[in-house]
Amino acid sequence: MTHEFLGYLRPDGSAGTRNRLLVISILGLTGGPARRIARQVPGALLIEMPYGRGQFGEDRAMMRRMLAGLGRNPNAGGVMLVGADRLRLDAVAEAIAPSGKPLEAIALDDVHEDALALSDRGLRLAAAMARDISRARRVPLPASLLRLGIECGHSDATSGLGANPLAGLVADRVVDAGGVAVIGETMEWLGAEHVLAARAATPEVGRAIVEAVAQREAWAAASGEDLTGNNPGQENIRGGLSSIEEKSLGAIAKGGSRPVQGVVPHAAPLPGPGLWVMQGPAFSPPSITGFVAAGCNMLIFTTGPGNSYCDALAPTVKVTVNPKTAQRLTQQIDFDGSGLMLGTREPEEAADALFAQLLDHAGGTRCWGEVLDEGGYAFARLGADF
Amino acid sequence: MSARWDLLAIDAQDDVAVALRDLPDGVARVRAGEAVLPLSLRGAVPLGHKVARRDLPRGTPIRKYGAVIGEAIADIAAGEHVHVHNMRSLRARRKEEP
Repeated sequence: MTHEFLGYLRPDGSAGTRNRLLVISILGLTGGPARRIARQVPGALLIEMPYGRGQFGEDRAMMRRMLAGLGRNPNAGGVMLVGADRLRLDAVAEAIAPSGKPLEAIALDDVHEDALALSDRGLRLAAAMARDISRARRVPLPASLLRLGIECGHSDATSGLGANPLAGLVADRVVDAGGVAVIGETMEWLGAEHVLAARAATPEVGRAIVEAVAQREAWAAASGEDLTGNNPGQENIRGGLSSIEEKSLGAIAKGGSRPVQGVVPHAAPLPGPGLWVMQGPAFSPPSITGFVAAGCNMLIFTTGPGNSYCDALAPTVKVTVNPKTAQRLTQQIDFDGSGLMLGTREPEEAADALFAQLLDHAGGTRCWGEVLDEGGYAFARLGADF
Repeated sequence: MSARWDLLAIDAQDDVAVALRDLPDGVARVRAGEAVLPLSLRGAVPLGHKVARRDLPRGTPIRKYGAVIGEAIADIAAGEHVHVHNMRSLRARRKEEP
């Protein structure tokens, strides 16, 4: 059976599940004009990078990957970049240009540092682009064009038991259809890295997985933290988790069971089909922004007691199997899998239903987080500023 | 629809099954793969907690999710609650121990 969704086919062959005009302030100095522009073009999505100078090394490289990756994301039908100096602005624009989408880049330099003049210029350009990108039409596209990021946030005993394995079954379906799936939150592989490594497509990938965890553990040790010393914590233990291995196996269950193709750095493009793991932070907002910068056009977000956070650019399908949560949070939970906990629903049937709903949301049906405008983004950092 | 099973073996071969709700002692039903199997619980088990599906002598590796989550540090009988009192991580550094 061929699975399809209605999406926007982009010039680079990727698929948008939404068609947003992105207005990106590429550094902390240009939030004002970017906000003015985005506010005056209904439907525009504003992204403000609060940093942009004084960064170095991998921290700077990561910031550039995030800016370029968000711009390239197929859910952005057009992009307006707002910056201060031409040099930095053009570097970001050049990284986005291969996507072939409408792109404008305006700089304070060009208007003699006059932020109001920049706002006026930007508004005219953004208005034209908004009209231009509205010509895009949804067409039936194969599920192989799905790029799915899978996150869990605010877990409870039902997460590792039901919600994450359910998400994993959907990840398997996406991968089997020829699509891309990715999980991150490197710290949550701790104790289960050998299991992920055993599923690696090559021995090199297996070593990279183990090294990614060792690196995080070393960072933590350098700050005086012992990640295995008091982990699982008291709340985890009350919930029934007895070891770090068990906790992490419950977390990585959301990635499913297919071979791991590789470890990608935070916010780096996903190089091809299959399951990938992203070396990244555990907190949901920066973790998810990493997925979206990597090109994800859909997200599944599992939760135990509930978690309203969603991404601004990629539709975020909220999943719980906790019966109380599903009953209580009727305008937050998109997919109620509580039959898995009640012992009334077959796991494979639930996964088919969630996969079908994922395709439906990809085709335009709004998730609760979109209806309620919960969407956010967050830029991860590594290290100090100059 | 009423419940058809009470505990879940996430992988059909797992040594432990997880309680899907707070369970009293007595015979309960374990979903493992396509099968639903009876298991006599030795005491009440809270939601999310594990029960041994078979006898697990001290030193036995304990499998859940089809992978080892630790080892038995006491003899555990089938139907017994498995938790930090009778199993331990193989991964965690146990600095306090000699």
